[in-house]
Amino acid sequence: MGRLRRSRVHKGIRDIQRKYRTKRYMRDIDQIHEDIQPENASKFEKPELDPELPGLGQFYCVPCAKHHINKESLQEHQKGKIHKKRVKLLKEEPYSQAEADAAAGLQRADTKAKKAKAEAMMDVTETNTTTSA
Amino acid sequence: MRLEKCYFCSSTCYPGHGTMFVRNDSKTFRFCRSKCHKNFKMKRNPRKVRWTKAFRKAAGKEMTIDSTFQFEKRRNIPVRYDRDLMATTIKALKRSQEIKAKRERVFYKNRMSGNALRRKAENQALVQKHIHLVDTPAIKLAQTQKLKEKSKLMDVDMS
Repeated sequence: MGRLRRSRVHKGIRDIQRKYRTKRYMRDIDQIHEDIQPENASKFEKPELDPELPGLGQFYCVPCAKHHINKESLQEHQKGKIHKKRVKLLKEEPYSQAEADAAAGLQRADTKAKKAKAEAMMDVTETNTTTSA
Repeated sequence: MRLEKCYFCSSTCYPGHGTMFVRNDSKTFRFCRSKCHKNFKMKRNPRKVRWTKAFRKAAGKEMTIDSTFQFEKRRNIPVRYDRDLMATTIKALKRSQEIKAKRERVFYKNRMSGNALRRKAENQALVQKHIHLVDTPAIKLAQTQKLKEKSKLMDVDMS
């Protein structure tokens, strides 16, 4: 006898459907990378009271983009492996569309300012040559 | 018409193909096919996925620095159509493609150049390690001859 079971029967799995929904779309690693920069630190210092968030939004872990219910929970989380892994991951430069373009061999656009600068440089060299000649 | 590059694999997204994802901070991500989109949704880093261009360039598998890359650029300043300019551009494109292909071939050859020697050394090391498993008459003969020579030398020393 051949195979009796149908193939491709896993598409109704609710966990996977939920995982792919954008309803609970977490912050991406490049956004978090921006959050942890020192110039953005003031945003997370004194959070406003938000009744819709766990712990009124007062116990937020920036690298993991996660709210905790109290201080103890946040501290326990920061001791853990998941948090430490995330901190390590954030140390490397995030991937960007610019990198994708560079990998494809596409150069950056020459902006007007850049072009003007290049032309100015050309003028300088030209004047130099004329004065020296 | 503009040909964008795929966020994940860096291939070209032609009009009418692939999908675009707009994040809630209005940043856009283009994907050439569902494979790339799915990998993005799994939050994979293209730099660590072996089949993407980003990986291949970062790992030194492909040519990265070359003057032939200077041709393809995103140009934001429109140019008025000119028949002669078009003709020369196409001619130049063909020529630059030829040069690029040639240089890529050289790069590949260089990258693979030490492989034959390395493989040979590895194989030899493997055989030497498990020489006791190799039991052919020729090897036995060689071993007995070696022993004989040794004993002969010892005899000479004794006398």
